[in-house]
Amino acid sequence: MTEELRKTYHEELESVREAIVRMAGVVGETIPRGTEAFLSGDLAEAQRIIEDDDAIDAMSVELEERCYQLLALQQPMASDLRAITTALWMNAEIERSGDLMANIAQATRRVYGSSIGPRIRGLIAQMSEEAARLMRLAIDSYAEGNSGLAVALDDIDDRLDDLHLDAIGAIFESNREQAFDLQVGVQLALVCRFYERIGDHAVNMGERVRYMVDGWLPEHSGALRAKARLAEFGVVPDET
Amino acid sequence: MTALFVALLAAAAGAFVILVVGIRQRRLVNQHLDRIANRVSGVVAPASKSPVAAVERLEMVLEASDAERQLRGTERRYEAALEAIDMGVVVVDESENVVFSNTSASWYREGRHSEAVIAQKIDELIHSAVRGERVEQSVALYGPPRRVLFVSAIPILTGGELVGAIALIHDVTEVEQSNAVRRDFVANISHELRTPIGAVSLLAETLIGEHDPEVIDSLANRLLVEAGRLTSTVKDLLELSQIEHSGDSEFSMVAVQGVVGGAHDRVRAAASQRGVVINVEAPEGDLQVRGDRRQLTSAVFNLLDNAVKFSNPGGGSVSVGIREVHGQVEVEVADGGIGIPRQDLDRIFERFYRVDRGRSRMTGGTGLGLSMVRTIVANHRGRVSVESTEGEGAKFTMELPLVPEASEDDPPGEDGEDTAQTSAAPAAPGNITAPATPGNITATASAAPVAPGEDTAPAAPGVGTAQAPAAPAAPGKSTVPGEDKA
Repeated sequence: MTEELRKTYHEELESVREAIVRMAGVVGETIPRGTEAFLSGDLAEAQRIIEDDDAIDAMSVELEERCYQLLALQQPMASDLRAITTALWMNAEIERSGDLMANIAQATRRVYGSSIGPRIRGLIAQMSEEAARLMRLAIDSYAEGNSGLAVALDDIDDRLDDLHLDAIGAIFESNREQAFDLQVGVQLALVCRFYERIGDHAVNMGERVRYMVDGWLPEHSGALRAKARLAEFGVVPDET
Repeated sequence: MTALFVALLAAAAGAFVILVVGIRQRRLVNQHLDRIANRVSGVVAPASKSPVAAVERLEMVLEASDAERQLRGTERRYEAALEAIDMGVVVVDESENVVFSNTSASWYREGRHSEAVIAQKIDELIHSAVRGERVEQSVALYGPPRRVLFVSAIPILTGGELVGAIALIHDVTEVEQSNAVRRDFVANISHELRTPIGAVSLLAETLIGEHDPEVIDSLANRLLVEAGRLTSTVKDLLELSQIEHSGDSEFSMVAVQGVVGGAHDRVRAAASQRGVVINVEAPEGDLQVRGDRRQLTSAVFNLLDNAVKFSNPGGGSVSVGIREVHGQVEVEVADGGIGIPRQDLDRIFERFYRVDRGRSRMTGGTGLGLSMVRTIVANHRGRVSVESTEGEGAKFTMELPLVPEASEDDPPGEDGEDTAQTSAAPAAPGNITAPATPGNITATASAAPVAPGEDTAPAAPGVGTAQAPAAPAAPGKSTVPGEDKA
């Protein structure tokens, strides 16, 4: 009896993991899809992306519900508990990445009709590829429980950050040359920022995966740094 | 007498003992048979006291077990058949539990990224199928790589009762691609032809009844421009089809440096007009290929012409590199111009494919340049590829099989027209084995002078597509022993 219960419990844990991977698959597909719609000014596709985001939100809500149920009914401990809390975090990060792509789809309408130069278009295409790649790597690290890959995500994200800076520079330049309205420039800058944020979410996912695998949290190293700083000033925190 | 009686008694006692023991053993045998019968399903035979009946039961049990073994064999065969199919197969029972999935669908459970999306889709369709509904859907995946999958889920019924569902996943990417090519070709060619024709008829209409000589003059001039555009489109189309059907019969040894030099001369005026600098980097010694000089020059010219056209006017630069890489001559044409959007990269070699139709009239050209390049390079058993980032320029690389210098002195190689003639006949059968190359078919049909080196044709399967790797053949060297002696 208890064995059967345990089995379904572990099956349920496994299906939560699968649901995370699937939701990330949908969002990961939306990245190149949304970029293509944006760059080709495909308003119909942009509209579909905005509508499809509702489905992603629904998936996320359902997944969250399942995690809470597992927490409440099974009272998991140790690695199981970490797996569920990690799933909750991942769920939020992935859902947010999906929202950012929906935002880019909305921006498609706002810049519609204005001609965007090849340099900015090229940078946007590259940022999209980089964001999608980070997302894939984050999910790989999660599915494999690969904390080494999870740690590396932060450094891998540097390239996306560089592209983001280049893109902002290119937008300023185009604005100086009055290639487009300021409004369009702002929209483009926001779009670039959205891609950069997707990269950040991937890095966050990496941190959560580290927590799942090793129990490490970014706040831990932050706390250590704070402690070290205080020690420099000769303050010894109470060891209570 | 007594002895006989004792013997009879003993015999009777023995028979009794045997009978008792026999009954016990028969019971044991029956118990065993029951157990076996339980294991082999479907055998219902009443236990009996007679030994004959026990044996009969045993026979039935054996038959049933044979039948089961056969059934398992059939099952294995069906599984192997599903395995052999070139599509993903997932079979579920009525409660949607997977009972079978073949290797093509092995990612169904563990799939990530795009595959997880398909797995989700399969689950949705299966969910409908086990409710008796036959459903199908095609799913476009952005990947990378981009794919189009066709997923269908079909309810499985036995005797009207639903026992599960089967999902089939079929990769239709190539079908979709060739459909798109065909569809767009028709649309594009009508666009390319209709636009100038429309302009011509409109201008002619305006000319009717016009008396102002100045207006007549300007209208007539524009008529000429449009007619010229039509002429060049038709000319390019004809040239392209000519190249497609030309064989390698006219091929001779050609130095790649000379080809690039010729193309450079043709584009020089346009380049200086746009203020674009062309830098050519070539090695000292001549790199030779076997080919048609005119065609090759036209291919390099088209690449250079594009590079100049799409470079930033005034201050743009185009670099051309010639080098030898692994028995291939590489000609690389790189510009720092506007580049090509990623989603168009696979398609720019198609006839009349335009990245930006609006811009095409400004830059001129017929939309056939790159498909001409692809066709010419394929004719020469080479390949052409492109890399680009929008806004950072594009780099086209042409690869052609290099003819090693030593082979120039090889008599059956280049000059020996006589040798070629004699070997033409034996060369032909070899060529038939590579029907993918239109050039080879022509060569066979015309029995034109084919160098013995052409015997290496079978070594180049699938030549004719731009992406096919070039044969590592060394034309000029007869690599098929015995052919010449035939």
